[in-house]
Amino acid sequence: MTANSPQLWQQVIDKVRTWARLNSIWAVHFNSGSCNGCDIEILATLTPRYDVERLGVKLYGSPRHADVLIVTGPVTRQARERLIRTYEQMPEPKFVVSVGSCSISGGVFDGCYNVGGSVDEVIPVDVYIPGCPPRPEAIIDGIIQLLKDLQGGKPRSAVRPNVAAELPS
Amino acid sequence: MNTLASFFTILIYPAGLTLVLLGMFYEWLDRKLVARFQNRVGPRWFQPFADAVKLLAKEQIRPGIVNPYLFFGLPVAALAGASTAALYVPLLGFAPPSSFSGDLIVTLYLLSLPTMCVGLAGWNTTSRFSVIGATRSLTQLFAYEAPFLLALLGPALVAGSWQISEVNEFAQTHWLILTQPVGFLVALIGLMGKLELPPFDAPEAETEIVAGALTEYSGRGLMMFKLGKSIELVVGLTLVSAFYLGGLTGIGSFLIKSIALLVLMAVMQTLFTRFRIDQTVGLWWRFGAIVVLMQIVAIILWKGYMP
Repeated sequence: MTANSPQLWQQVIDKVRTWARLNSIWAVHFNSGSCNGCDIEILATLTPRYDVERLGVKLYGSPRHADVLIVTGPVTRQARERLIRTYEQMPEPKFVVSVGSCSISGGVFDGCYNVGGSVDEVIPVDVYIPGCPPRPEAIIDGIIQLLKDLQGGKPRSAVRPNVAAELPS
Repeated sequence: MNTLASFFTILIYPAGLTLVLLGMFYEWLDRKLVARFQNRVGPRWFQPFADAVKLLAKEQIRPGIVNPYLFFGLPVAALAGASTAALYVPLLGFAPPSSFSGDLIVTLYLLSLPTMCVGLAGWNTTSRFSVIGATRSLTQLFAYEAPFLLALLGPALVAGSWQISEVNEFAQTHWLILTQPVGFLVALIGLMGKLELPPFDAPEAETEIVAGALTEYSGRGLMMFKLGKSIELVVGLTLVSAFYLGGLTGIGSFLIKSIALLVLMAVMQTLFTRFRIDQTVGLWWRFGAIVVLMQIVAIILWKGYMP
């Protein structure tokens, strides 16, 4: 019994911590070169009609306060460094949600001279929400997917960012 | 036994656990009421608790340029200041555990400690958003502090005592909101300015300056500042309802009166849009301070002629 109690404490603390993470998600929004369609849908998700505050989701301005980075749009060459910097400014544990077709594959902007590629080539992404643009319901569903992954203790997505040299010139 | 009693005072009631839980409850109530007024569902009842635990479990990043002692010490000072103020107010309607002549001034000083810590924290982190937020925070402190103090001084003058518990006893037989409605309004709006709630949230205007003075804070530090603000809300509500709304006699009257005040504050948060910082200062010094000064003069004259 005494040998097990530190483990038990650890389990209880882990449970409480996971529960708190699941129920309090603060997001920061980053536009890495989107056409603004997805951004408007994200704003629609935050309006009273959909009200994500009932799930504990709040939009914050500072990456230091946030748990989830919501990225929209393909990563342009100019936004690339800023995206990495914003991601690195967030405190651990942090998660990335990539919203819209462009952020997943480059979309209609794929192959443009100024576009570097998708978001997961730059930072590790946890949840992909496809759509052009995705409806607010789809975005909420994506958040629920993220919560389920967290609950199941699924390991973080292992996609590693490419080095800058590998980008098409 | 005495040590045990002190530990109980510090850790359970009125400082410590009771205060933290009350602070979280009032923060949730405030958010829920604002959400309902905006036709939303609003957060669930355990939301502030989940936020606090999550922030505690997060990494705390220290920017390379800051002074580490100030960076880690200021949140603690803010939380400690707000919690200490709870020792002198009739929290939950019970007699305050510590009371002496002039504790009104001490309480008001302790209540402005979190704001000063926020200002210093913003200056310390040297990020441009933090510095602007800190400047606005301190500017606003100078704007509302004097009218708020004068508004609480009115009941103290009438009761003839600067001791919170004695004013509370006096207020139980005199509903001072009826004789000093101006002071009540100024105290209520001053409390909103103190807590940087929506009409007066220029110091943390997220559309302009990200998160104001706390932009660089994450994890534990942010949680302590937020908790300090919630506790300030509870203490401020207790103070204003004890002074103006007929005193606090027990848990029932405490809950009814402070929640009534909170509903009023939530209505005003929903009704008004954010003031610019110069509008805030102008409102307080051109209007708030003058009307409340006139009321103080009237009270002094009345007391002089009718002893």
